[in-house]
Amino acid sequence: MSDFAPAGDPVIPDYGQASDCVINNGAFCTDWFISQWSTVFWPPLLSHIIMVAIAVSIGFVIAFFAALLAYRKKWLAGPIGMTATFLYTLPPLALFQLLVPFTGLSLLTVEIALVCFTLVIIFQAVLVGLTGVPDDVRRAATGMGLDRNQLLFKVELPLALPSIISGVRIATVLTVSIATIAAFVVDDGLGSPIIKAVSSPFNTQFVGAGALAVLLAFALDGLLVLLGRVLTPWTKARS
Amino acid sequence: MSVRGQQRHFDRRQALTGLGRGLLGLGALGLTGASLSGCGSDNANPKGKSITVGSKGFAESWIMGELYAQGLRNLGYTVDLKTNVGSSDIISAALLSGQIDLYPEYTGVMLVSFMGEDKLMDSAEETYELAQTWAEDNQVTMLKATPFENKNAVAVRKEFAEEHDLKSVSDLKGIGDFTYSTYPDNVTGAQGYEGIVDSYGLDNMKLKTLSIGLNYQAIERGEIDAADVFTTDPQLLRSDLVVLDDDKKLFGFQNVVPLIRDDTFVDFDDGATEFLNELQSLLTLEAIQAMNEASAINRLDPAQVAKTFLDDNGLM
Repeated sequence: MSDFAPAGDPVIPDYGQASDCVINNGAFCTDWFISQWSTVFWPPLLSHIIMVAIAVSIGFVIAFFAALLAYRKKWLAGPIGMTATFLYTLPPLALFQLLVPFTGLSLLTVEIALVCFTLVIIFQAVLVGLTGVPDDVRRAATGMGLDRNQLLFKVELPLALPSIISGVRIATVLTVSIATIAAFVVDDGLGSPIIKAVSSPFNTQFVGAGALAVLLAFALDGLLVLLGRVLTPWTKARS
Repeated sequence: MSVRGQQRHFDRRQALTGLGRGLLGLGALGLTGASLSGCGSDNANPKGKSITVGSKGFAESWIMGELYAQGLRNLGYTVDLKTNVGSSDIISAALLSGQIDLYPEYTGVMLVSFMGEDKLMDSAEETYELAQTWAEDNQVTMLKATPFENKNAVAVRKEFAEEHDLKSVSDLKGIGDFTYSTYPDNVTGAQGYEGIVDSYGLDNMKLKTLSIGLNYQAIERGEIDAADVFTTDPQLLRSDLVVLDDDKKLFGFQNVVPLIRDDTFVDFDDGATEFLNELQSLLTLEAIQAMNEASAINRLDPAQVAKTFLDDNGLM
């Protein structure tokens, strides 16, 4: 049957000679890492950053307003805190798996799970920051004629900023780490090169992707420290 | 039993990812009709809706998926590639439910996994034709098969073959005791160690199980005489081995065909069909082994491996 006859000889591409390090699966082959950077590492790194940025942004908005609500209506602090803590205790892989029947093998599944893990940290950080504002400061501000919203935006939130920033830092570092598991659901993030190298183990791919996740966590943490300094110049002056 | 044996053939390389995705994938298939592949770019495509290409859980399938995806993109289609979707059962369900539109499948796997055939056909053509009936029954279009096939085979060292004048698996009968190795999951079953012993009457074939990937080292060092291999394994090129002819057709036929859901195929123009058929017919054993080698030994990305092949063969 003609269906099986080759249509002439294919040109067999010359894929070149791999280095000894690559052939022998060395601990880390710098030559390969550099030559494969643009295809194997950069796209997953970029999608990892995007996944983390989306998750922390949405998580921040939800947790921030939940904390404001809990701050105004004290009786809500318990239930909200407990819900957020419950979400935080779920094993990430199980949560991804539970969501798949509803939201599919999609970025949405990943983001819902990642957001869930950021909530408790940011919620507590905002709430602790707000409740930590000294009463005499609050009384002085009220005495100067600030209304409730002015008090919140001009006094309480600025004083809570160091606590909020530290919460966002922890949430960000945690999300960078958990987002590697997203590769079970979508072909994105730094978990993707790791998971693909499992069936045919290649150290450079494991080490490279793992190191990038660690460096990314450090880099984002550093950026948030800088952001914190810019937003709270008075803390530096005080110390 | 042969269903399990055949299934194992592909599960071996899926390892952990296959397991994880398998569980997740089964859940995903509970979705009714909701396509995950929309991605919102449909309107930008001059050739109708976007096409989602899928691939299974091992490198050869990733390369095939890239070949299809890049070639179709080059023809102006909007293509979304979902790599590493999962095993045959999961990816075929994804195809039929519309989560993917096109993926490469092995004809023998279609018979065993999709149609529940316990007897494998005697030729590649018959296997193709029977697989075609499954495709027609499921509103799926099957294009040309690759000349190459990827299936289990028994390989021996060259000196061992010369010493005993071995050409086919049947020739192993009566040469005295020798050691054969396969991975632990492939002992029972019609295409496993026990199946080979039964079908070929090889009471003199002793078993040694070795974990995945250690076969080649062991046979090169002479620790074993014969090994279970896959016909497209790039290591076959590097180790000095002879693949014995499966004269009793125990392992069936495993050529690769592109499976396309009919409602996607109606949007294909002649150029797309021609491209896929031309590509398929260029995929000889030598070609796929070279690409598998580039992936497994040189550790090149499947996307690069595929692009180079398409460029060098004037398909892009």
